[in-house]
Amino acid sequence: MPALGRLAICLALLFAAYATGVSILGALRRRRHLVRSGEHAAYAVFALVVVAVAILLRALVQHDFSLEYVAAYSSSTLPLRYTVAALWGGQKGSLLFWAFMLTLFTTIVQLQNRERNRELMPWVTATLMTTAAFFLGLLTFVTDPFERLPIAAREGADLNPLLQNYWMTIHPPSLYTGYVSASVPFAFAIAALATGRLGDQWIRSVRRWSLFSWFFLTLGNLFGARWAYEVLGWGGYWAWDPVENAAFMPWLVSTAYLHSVMIQEKKDMLRVWNMVLVLLTFSLTIFGTFLTRSGVISSVHSFTQSGLGPFFIGFLLFVLVVAGGLLAYRLPELRTQATVESFLSRESAFLFNNLVLVGIAFAVFWGTVFPVVSEWVRGVKITVGPLFFNRVNAPLGIALLFLAGLGPAIAWRRASPPNLWRAFAGPVAAGLVAALALRLAGVPLGYAHSTFALGVFVLGTIVQEFWRGMRARQAMLHESPARALSRLVGKNRRRYGGYIIHIGVVAVFVGVAASSVFRVEVQQTLAPGQETAAGKFTLRYERITKQDDPHVSRLAAVVSVWRDGKAVTTLAPEKRFYKKPQQPTTEVAMRATLTEDLYLVLGSYDEQSGLVTILAYVNPLVSWIWIGGIVMALGTTVAMWPTPAERREPAYALGRVRAATD
Amino acid sequence: MLEKRRFIIGAVLIAGAVSYLIYAGVRTTSMYYFSLDEFLSSREAHADEDLRVKGWVRHGSMHWDPRTNDLAFELAHQDDSSPVPVAYRGVLPDMFSEGREVVIEGRYSGGRLAAHQIMTSCPSKYEPAKAGS
Repeated sequence: MPALGRLAICLALLFAAYATGVSILGALRRRRHLVRSGEHAAYAVFALVVVAVAILLRALVQHDFSLEYVAAYSSSTLPLRYTVAALWGGQKGSLLFWAFMLTLFTTIVQLQNRERNRELMPWVTATLMTTAAFFLGLLTFVTDPFERLPIAAREGADLNPLLQNYWMTIHPPSLYTGYVSASVPFAFAIAALATGRLGDQWIRSVRRWSLFSWFFLTLGNLFGARWAYEVLGWGGYWAWDPVENAAFMPWLVSTAYLHSVMIQEKKDMLRVWNMVLVLLTFSLTIFGTFLTRSGVISSVHSFTQSGLGPFFIGFLLFVLVVAGGLLAYRLPELRTQATVESFLSRESAFLFNNLVLVGIAFAVFWGTVFPVVSEWVRGVKITVGPLFFNRVNAPLGIALLFLAGLGPAIAWRRASPPNLWRAFAGPVAAGLVAALALRLAGVPLGYAHSTFALGVFVLGTIVQEFWRGMRARQAMLHESPARALSRLVGKNRRRYGGYIIHIGVVAVFVGVAASSVFRVEVQQTLAPGQETAAGKFTLRYERITKQDDPHVSRLAAVVSVWRDGKAVTTLAPEKRFYKKPQQPTTEVAMRATLTEDLYLVLGSYDEQSGLVTILAYVNPLVSWIWIGGIVMALGTTVAMWPTPAERREPAYALGRVRAATD
Repeated sequence: MLEKRRFIIGAVLIAGAVSYLIYAGVRTTSMYYFSLDEFLSSREAHADEDLRVKGWVRHGSMHWDPRTNDLAFELAHQDDSSPVPVAYRGVLPDMFSEGREVVIEGRYSGGRLAAHQIMTSCPSKYEPAKAGS
């Protein structure tokens, strides 16, 4: 079977190369049958990759330890869900998984566009298949997931215990979905540049794909943060590790694009800028993959150094040269006459928002590559830590939040004083009242205070938008408030979905600001029966408990918790000792509420004296980060939901899928 | 034209602010990241300065007191040569053990490194256990 898997990958590579060549040829010579042949080859690539994935999955589930990959990332005692997750738990599997997603999306794009965008499609196919060929080439020539061990292992080395966690089973697929689906807008951008069809057509065709990609990048980042929070045990959720930054940068640029593309649709401005953002988002996904696999930048949790770095850098350079060359070639045609008419306008608010987002992305990029750059330039490695990222990004984040309040309510073209008054009197007043109330409540001036007050301002503008829209419908159409509200959102899904996303963003900002500024951290060594205080909490260490099974042995400290003098719960932070990769891990115990999380870690235990060291963190408002994430996901779903007029098309595409699979 | 100029001023201000923040951030938070050899050859010049040093935990050098959370060990080459004593107070990282590659962040003074953070890498790949071990 494994030999068949390898054969499938080799064949897929050949078909991908064929699809690329024949599509370009068909486009240049205007031969329909060549273009169709390229598309059929792309379907074949997908089918072959599915075969390869199925064979690797089967080997994992059947514990075929004659395969190097299966022996390295799973074991016979690993629960089934983690055995399946091992498919993307290691480098080779994750590259295969990437190829799978990419060819799946290629198939969907082709089915969606069987009768549409016919001039663009050969170039779209060629671009996606070139990318697929790159990954398949790595799997064929450099890192073979079906590699056999000289002698089959009797037992596998098991998946890293840190990855044996619920969030870790869904974090990588979300992130890969976001990364890989960014290839679709990129492919359409390349197609637009190659054909010279630079109008709105390509942008409208990928609108939903851009949102889809952004949706999964958002989820992937949040799942990753959640995983770090629950598993790594240092009390936080974001450490500005290169791997985290690798996922954050494409998200930032993609966010910028989702805003600026509205300006292009409305005003036919920023064509070049939007093109650059799409190309940059894709390049950053490749760069991120490079970061996590090359070992060039030391990271706390990267894949081991693997020698894949040069291939990714090579591919990245290829992408930049081709995309940059095409862009330069079409630059005269891309330029438009339209310019910003007024400093006080929605256009300019959106542009500033774009500059800040790209500025943050650049700062993150610079901080991430700084060690490498300093080594090149000065011969010594100089690093910047989390402090750098926090210092740079806190003020930029505040600016962004302010613009998030400004953008949706300010008038297009030119805002007059009466317009400004009408749009902002209420929200600004709400923000000022909140600022004052927070000061009176004892919140010190600083980033957290500004974030809370600006958050109220942003919410004010959004509530006002919903309220006014609803009232207008009620007055004109005599609808009930609930009906008016649902119709309002239903008829303008993108706009109101966007506002809902902004509500989620405010929640995330508030959670991040509060937990960064007001977090309490206590480290205390305790004997049984001894107490310590952490913020409003009193903790009493009661006793140690031990448990042992073949997979893992556990050591737990039982801690009774009081808040403001009232007993609230008992928590039991653990140390676990995994037996197969012999490794201790920390199991956090948490009491999460809407106001604060009490986060306990068992630091150490002394067998002789019975003393334990407990680390306690009180992290205010962290729950709002996860709630904000859910709200953002809801808002994106609203914005992506097809309008009634569009709904016929997916059904049509679905019919095609059925026809193709019958 | 006036509007355009105002807009450009705004854009330049944002770009300037980003550049300044990056510049100031690097200046105030950057620190050297030395390999053990680089550290050994320049340690006197960088005494009492925050820095990071990468090395291996020397076999047989680790002393850990779970009652006081005092950790003492020697940072050395992979073959245990050229050791430098390290002192740390805090919770022992999960992945910390003798022979492992670590990065320590701290200051060098009086012939030893006072670490305030120890970073252990957690590779997601494990070598299969060797026969007999």
